[in-house]
Amino acid sequence: MLEVRRLTKRFGHVVAVEDFTLAVPEGEVLALLGPSGCGKTTVLRIVAGLERPDAGRVILAGRDATDWPPEKRGVGLVFQSYALFPHLSVGANVAYGLRFRRGDRKGRVRELLALVGLARYERRKPHQLSAGQQQRVALARALAPEPRVLLLDEPLSALDAALRKDLRAELRALLGKLGMTALYVTHDQEEALALADRVAVMREGRLEQVAPPEELYSRPKTPFVASFLGRANLWPGRVVSVDGDRAFVEVAGERIPAERGECREGDEVFLFFRPEWVEVGEGLFTAEVESAEYLGDRWELRARFCDLPLVLITGQDPRSSGTLPFAIPTARTIHQQ
Amino acid sequence: MRSEQPNAPLWGQRRRGWRAGGAWALLPLAFLGLALFLPLWEVLRLGLQADGLWTAAPLRSVLGDPYIRRLLLFTVEQALLSTGLSLVLGFPLGWLLTRYRFPGHDALRAMTLVPFVLPPITVALGFVLFFGHAGYLNRFLQAAFGLAEPPIRVLYTLWGIVLAHAFYNAPVVARFVNVAWEAQDPTHVEAARVLGAGRLKAFFTVTLPALVPGALSACALVFLLCTLSFAIPLSLGGARYATIEVGVYNLARVDVDLARAAALALVVLAVSLALTCLYVRGGGLLRPVSSREREQPTVPLLDRKRPARLLWLVYLLPAALVFLGPIGAVIADSFLRPAPGGSSPTLHWYRIALSADTTPFLGTSPLGSILTSLGVALAAAGGALILGLAISAAVRRLRSRVLETLLMAPLGVSSVVLGLALLLAFRRPPLSFLPPGPWPLVVAHILIVYPFVVRAVGPLWESLDPRLVEAARTLGASRRLAFLTVELPLLRSGLLVAGARAFALSLGEMTATAMLARPGLNTIPLAIYQFLSSRRFGAASAMATVLMVTTALVAWAWERTGRGLLGRREKAFLASDSHRGGAEIAEPVERVASGFMPDDKAVRGLKAVADRLRRYREPIHSTTDVLRVSAVRKHRRNHA
Repeated sequence: MLEVRRLTKRFGHVVAVEDFTLAVPEGEVLALLGPSGCGKTTVLRIVAGLERPDAGRVILAGRDATDWPPEKRGVGLVFQSYALFPHLSVGANVAYGLRFRRGDRKGRVRELLALVGLARYERRKPHQLSAGQQQRVALARALAPEPRVLLLDEPLSALDAALRKDLRAELRALLGKLGMTALYVTHDQEEALALADRVAVMREGRLEQVAPPEELYSRPKTPFVASFLGRANLWPGRVVSVDGDRAFVEVAGERIPAERGECREGDEVFLFFRPEWVEVGEGLFTAEVESAEYLGDRWELRARFCDLPLVLITGQDPRSSGTLPFAIPTARTIHQQ
Repeated sequence: MRSEQPNAPLWGQRRRGWRAGGAWALLPLAFLGLALFLPLWEVLRLGLQADGLWTAAPLRSVLGDPYIRRLLLFTVEQALLSTGLSLVLGFPLGWLLTRYRFPGHDALRAMTLVPFVLPPITVALGFVLFFGHAGYLNRFLQAAFGLAEPPIRVLYTLWGIVLAHAFYNAPVVARFVNVAWEAQDPTHVEAARVLGAGRLKAFFTVTLPALVPGALSACALVFLLCTLSFAIPLSLGGARYATIEVGVYNLARVDVDLARAAALALVVLAVSLALTCLYVRGGGLLRPVSSREREQPTVPLLDRKRPARLLWLVYLLPAALVFLGPIGAVIADSFLRPAPGGSSPTLHWYRIALSADTTPFLGTSPLGSILTSLGVALAAAGGALILGLAISAAVRRLRSRVLETLLMAPLGVSSVVLGLALLLAFRRPPLSFLPPGPWPLVVAHILIVYPFVVRAVGPLWESLDPRLVEAARTLGASRRLAFLTVELPLLRSGLLVAGARAFALSLGEMTATAMLARPGLNTIPLAIYQFLSSRRFGAASAMATVLMVTTALVAWAWERTGRGLLGRREKAFLASDSHRGGAEIAEPVERVASGFMPDDKAVRGLKAVADRLRRYREPIHSTTDVLRVSAVRKHRRNHA
């Protein structure tokens, strides 16, 4: 449905997006995730036609849309600040995109306002609504002209935490119900994991990895992805031997078994494992605990293993210092770059 | 993420920036080329050519003329004295407005805006009626103290002019001081006090130094205004005390020596350009920077425990006399001056002022003047709106300093020079091809008032969230349609305000008008001047009252409509975090164009508005709020 090929965009000397390729099949919600300034909003704006790429193509529904003006693209865009028209009522805002097409506009406006749960607010002005309601109006307005693709630019980031969670669930249900193809830009990993069918992680204008949320979390391809999503232990080491789908990584003089992935003998890799994958309390290795943080349902420990930093999670009250035996039953390898 | 490119324009704009912006710039450039640059070229030619050859001889001869030298000297002298007196009179008013609260505080504050609305000719008339030898003040003093001779003789002297200028400009100083003072962080004074400085010492070591930039800035502006003042020295100076502006007028319209007038106009042009540049450049440097945490504390003026504060009356009473006396005298005189039959109060003077009979020294009927004034003002306001909108759009798109300077050039051209330029240009093709009518007046007024439109519309436009247009585009609107359905409705209140202001300014304009008037083409201010100089005070007063009331009504209406519209419509949506970078370029010009006022409320309300913006849902109430918003943005950018 939506495809971008080898996009590059520079602002002066700053490269915002570089050689960026991505495809969103019909009905999929794809989250574009990355830290501030990584170029994800630029990608979105290029797709919407609000920026022109320096190189690369935008394909919409199989047709090259790179040179189309925004009004011809048939995309819906929900802005972070909603950008509701202050001089128009809620109903007129939603109807704005309909004025260019035939049909039962009033019915369509009502239908959409009902869809986002604001049926009674048609005559209000945007400023008379709460932020959450404004967000819904923005969504209804973007959906009204039946866009081929819905683009969402951090739509929840201007809301407070509790509201954000509620709306997140609602948004997910709504997008699912409509079978909408959507590109969802966010810097919030939790939001991306919770909302999207697939997540694309961006860094400094480049694509790091695209994968479904579970895979992204447990099998990151790059150290950046590993550490950007959740907590990660990354130990530099070298693959000393390979045995079927197991690899043995030498780290600080120890040979630690890990899932082989794509590495070969002699590769310089990171040994990657999540804190929760570690078995604490028994094992061959000994960690020196430096500090412990109590988080309610668990303890998070900062420790060292042969001078390598180590994050551990345990359910029991650990000794706040001293040594602790542990084992790494599950680990993976990530190529060093 | 916005941080990476918050100002990224629509790609269409970026790619076709010069083309799209160029189209917007084309109309204003064409108009200015014909109506300003070509006429100025005529002045240049006439002033620097002799027998078809370029030479500095006319200029040298003008500058060598002892009479002209006296004019120049006198101009500087009266401007310096006026500036000094304005400072002396205005500073305490600024202080009073900042430090004290009292009934009528806001009304007094609003009254400091009066000079921006009041046509100078009415002030001149008021001074004649109030301070004149047979004026109200002298008559009152003679009656009260049994004096045979009028005790006050300031009229037709240097001091009459200086006093009238101070009347006009002290409120400007007061406003600047008030703004600079309110922008101060009160904790600075508190810190000084805690460190051992007494009240006075804290004032002189902390408060006063921080006010110097604001006061200097005000003085620069007042000096500029007084140097280029026309109606007041023309009416109050008599034959002896003329400024260079009046000099150009006399040469061109009384002696009809256009070549010498053009040569002197070149001098005036150089002076006005230099002073404007100085003010615009320096004004930015001198602008007070607000970093305060809270508002300046105020104390009640009327406090039983502090009777010393009543000493303010020593300032307030004479000030009220100087400020209210002349205006009151005009209004009173229009009713009280006995009609030829001797009856008083009377409406006789209004009957004259509104009569349709041709009056010889007006060259037309009073009613005709009024109708011409209204028609010209209407046309000027309409023209200025179109021109101002186009210029705002062009400046917004192109972000070119050179272009902006060109497009705002009339700011640096004195009105007398403008009048002379148009006088010359309308005698030759292509402008002489225009059908007969008040075109020269309309063109002159458009040139004089459109910067105010740019000033009102530009910041408002800047403060619109660019994503509103983007949203419209993704919803299927073309660039043009997005402008018509989103931007234009949101700018409507600003346009209304600007239009009303342009109308009022045009109504009161007399300088260029005097240069361009001809028999049958007369305006209200000019008629007042002609009534005044032929000593028909009653008719002059009635006409001036009509002018003041019309102007005040328009001013009031513009404030009301502006507020109402903004209150209903432009809410916090103007207040997204995004902004376009051009405000800083626009700022110095804006300031000059604004009728020479800093955005006082912008400075005052920085913090309050910032808070509201953060909460996002809070509505924005008025034009000034919008200006504040742009100030907040500038502030943020400067401190980013």
